[in-house]
Amino acid sequence: MSMNVSRAELQDAAEKAFGQGDLAPDAEKSWNLIAEMGWLMMAVPEDLGGLGLGADATGVIHTALGRALVPGPAMAQMLVIEALSAADGLTARDDLLTRAMGGEVMTASLAGVSTTGLHACVPDADRASQVLVVEDARILLVPTDSAGITILARDTWDKTRRLFDITPGESGGGLVLAEGDAADALARRLKAQLLFALAGDSLGGAEAVLAMTIEYLGTRRQFDRPLAMFQALKHRVADMKTWLSAAEALFWANAAEASVSVVQAGALKAHATTVYRTIAEEAIQLHGGIGLTMEHPCHLFLKRAMLNCALGGDADHWEEQAGRRALEIGAA
Amino acid sequence: MTDALERLRHDVRAWLEANAPRGWRESCTSHEAFLDMQRGWFAKLAEAGYAVPHWPAEWPGGGRSLAEQKVIYEELARADTPRLLLSFMSTYHAACTLFEWGSEAQQKQYIPRILEGEIWCQGFSEPNAGSDLAGVKTRAERQGDVYVVNGQKLWSTMGQFADKCLLLVRTSTEGAKQAGLTYLLLDLKTKGVTARPIHQIHGDEEFAELFLDNVEIPVEDRLGEEGQGWAVAQSTLSSERGLTLLELSARMRGALWRIGDLIRETGRENDVGILRDFGRLTTRVDATCALADQFLANRIAGVERVGDASLVKLSYSRTLREFTLLGLRLGGMDAQYHTPITFGGGMETGNWMADFMNSYAWTIAGGSDEVQRNIISERLLAMPREPKGWTLAGGAA
Repeated sequence: MSMNVSRAELQDAAEKAFGQGDLAPDAEKSWNLIAEMGWLMMAVPEDLGGLGLGADATGVIHTALGRALVPGPAMAQMLVIEALSAADGLTARDDLLTRAMGGEVMTASLAGVSTTGLHACVPDADRASQVLVVEDARILLVPTDSAGITILARDTWDKTRRLFDITPGESGGGLVLAEGDAADALARRLKAQLLFALAGDSLGGAEAVLAMTIEYLGTRRQFDRPLAMFQALKHRVADMKTWLSAAEALFWANAAEASVSVVQAGALKAHATTVYRTIAEEAIQLHGGIGLTMEHPCHLFLKRAMLNCALGGDADHWEEQAGRRALEIGAA
Repeated sequence: MTDALERLRHDVRAWLEANAPRGWRESCTSHEAFLDMQRGWFAKLAEAGYAVPHWPAEWPGGGRSLAEQKVIYEELARADTPRLLLSFMSTYHAACTLFEWGSEAQQKQYIPRILEGEIWCQGFSEPNAGSDLAGVKTRAERQGDVYVVNGQKLWSTMGQFADKCLLLVRTSTEGAKQAGLTYLLLDLKTKGVTARPIHQIHGDEEFAELFLDNVEIPVEDRLGEEGQGWAVAQSTLSSERGLTLLELSARMRGALWRIGDLIRETGRENDVGILRDFGRLTTRVDATCALADQFLANRIAGVERVGDASLVKLSYSRTLREFTLLGLRLGGMDAQYHTPITFGGGMETGNWMADFMNSYAWTIAGGSDEVQRNIISERLLAMPREPKGWTLAGGAA
């Protein structure tokens, strides 16, 4: 983190922007706010017009967005921006990067590398001017008005995200940002970045839904006492707080590392999303009947948690990978 | 990390390369071997100035900052040295309580001997005072210049090998339970003291039961005033400052290779279920290490909250249970055949059934998981306490 912006200052700014208790705020207003505050240029090197901050700063952003269930394509946009930042020597790059940092929507798949030509889980593709296409040994930026491209809206349970399937078509149009080994290296970096972002979003959401649940237990009375007085419930809350705290510590420890491997980021993502899912599940149960209604925001967290679990490779996948990695380290 | 800390790390590492005991896991198969090894290793560390880095600067080997202590513990864990089990209560619980509550005469009398290897144990828990420590019933009656003590203490770590004991006794039954407690320093060679080892389910004997039958303790061996015992005991219980869990977490991470080896030995390198469990475990271990690290950083920065220590302990104890259970599952039938334990071998020895049973030490001792959950919910998260007033005879009073 640079000398002039501390994590605490950034957290304060995020708190002012999205921490006023307004869950799942208006998409357009949120997007303008994100761009105005410079969040999209946070990780871009200073000589490219960015703020040159590291994962510690983007970690603050993703947890803040998760905490308030902010809609929009920030996560995907940051992947595009990272890819553009890496594409040195392309004449069109500087203009595209400036536009992306300013808030012109450019999007990317949150599912990972496509082997079938279908790019799934692309947020806000209908509003985007460009889509990042990550293929084997090739990464390109394709205008969404290219001939032959198809964009299909997919209605997810989670209404805080708007996902699309994209098939770029066979025209081969678009700007090649990286090829060969460079493309593969960039793809790995993008993947690690996506997994880190999903982990941050999850931990922010988990923190918020846990706080909401604790508050509810303190006010809801049954058997002439607040539910928060029952030890059976307190102990469940204490467990949740413990897992969340450990996962948060791991998240910030990862953020402080100079480089994080894809598997390491995947293990973190698996852990963080599992914690989020568990807490969101428990939140519904502990809220009782009201938690099953649309009028209460509990369900928003559950739906986003489950989606985060599925995006970018699920816990089953990453835990297996982490196990293989640990086995290799032990054998070395 | 500053240059000074890096230098310290380098010095400690170099010293350990030359001096760390080797082969102790194989040789510590009897109490005698364990005691010899522990005494010898402590003396070596004390001589090198690494045994009591947490002591105040006026004592030899003391005056290290928390950040420096952390470096020393990380290096001791990294080199897989034996944990200082025998002298732990002496250098932490006894010494830190004496620093805070002891008179100058008491400090002069006891502190130097700790450095020479005198062993202290703790006499707090009783058959009916475990999680509810304030319920201590061991009686001390003042008769002239002595207290006459009668009662029974349980779970005194290394009590059967100890020379002295930190004793929490009841001097009054009036008023609040906590207000009637007094803190005494007991010489275990005193007439009327019987120490009996407790046989743990995995075959070790790390704790003792103490029987006190008309034991006379001079009044000058009281720490604090009569009735101040609860406050003195709180100092004892908070003496280790978070370093133990940091060290234990680091050792748990350092022992993950044992699971990896077992996966290979049992030919399950491609067993997806096992790989997932192993991957999940390594991540949980990493998270616990990160939490212990963060806890100590917060403590150094002075921003620790009440209850933070409970988060670390609960995260560690549950993760250790998972660690040893995975080892036990992989160990299969082999782990079911009795294998003699390594005394003082730590929490992860690869003797999986023994390790699994021993993991309960951390979910029960030092404030059980259930007590930690109470602390986290009530003190850290400010959830209301349960109403008091239930009585055995009539239900709600």
